[in-house]
Amino acid sequence: MKFRRSTKLLVDVPAVASGDIAFNLIVFFLVCASTQPDTGRSQILPKSEQTQQQKEQDEHLTVDLKRNAILINGDPVKVSEVKARVKAKLAGKSRPDDRVVIVKSTDDVPYHAWIEVTSQIEDAGGIITLQLEEERTVDVPQ
Amino acid sequence: MKMKRKQPKVDIPSVAMGDIAFNLLIFFVILAQSQDDSHIQWTPAKADNLKGSGYTRVTVTIDKDQKVYLNGQELSEGQLASRIETYLGTAPAGQRKVLLKAHSECTAAKFEPVIEAISQAGGELVHILDKKIEQ
Repeated sequence: MKFRRSTKLLVDVPAVASGDIAFNLIVFFLVCASTQPDTGRSQILPKSEQTQQQKEQDEHLTVDLKRNAILINGDPVKVSEVKARVKAKLAGKSRPDDRVVIVKSTDDVPYHAWIEVTSQIEDAGGIITLQLEEERTVDVPQ
Repeated sequence: MKMKRKQPKVDIPSVAMGDIAFNLLIFFVILAQSQDDSHIQWTPAKADNLKGSGYTRVTVTIDKDQKVYLNGQELSEGQLASRIETYLGTAPAGQRKVLLKAHSECTAAKFEPVIEAISQAGGELVHILDKKIEQ
């Protein structure tokens, strides 16, 4: 004759450490979120110095950036053509000094347009140099 | 006859020591990441050929209102070069990275002086950008 076992063992999942586990999970994801790697483009810019504008413009390629136009040595070009045009102008120039491209932007040029053009210049082998206009305050005697 | 009361043996529970040490470690790791600029609102511009920016101690951010922040603290452009120089100290080339997080719509009037300040301080400029998705 078979006897049925009447007593069932009640086994609970140990819940004591649940709080600790939850807390550790929160902290883990918090750390992961705050150390998300950034992606970007590095840009090597020469240290700023004051130079004679005319001399610089005669020697180097100049890119004028306006809000709605791009001029390479005074010639208007489309955004998509910048890389090819700069590459053609820099062809045969191996010295870093010869590959300097002066970028002159008007105040209203947005960053996304600027980064697009400068990225293309760098991809074409150019070395970016910014030309900023110096602000001077002149006191007029009365 | 006097019965001596048996002293109860009290031990500090040491089971959770590992958990406590681990939590403390993580707490200080988070504290060490003091460059919290998560409150600054900006949208990155998009570009191709991006690389991982790596670790740096200096991050300059220009937000959507064209305000300039250095490691999450707002400051004027005039103070930027000297403050970056202080952060970079005498770090050798290759360890002088300065991340620039500029809002995609901010204008040259704002971001060019910032780039100039980074250059003046001897920082190695890295633009933080999003990958351009081809249509």
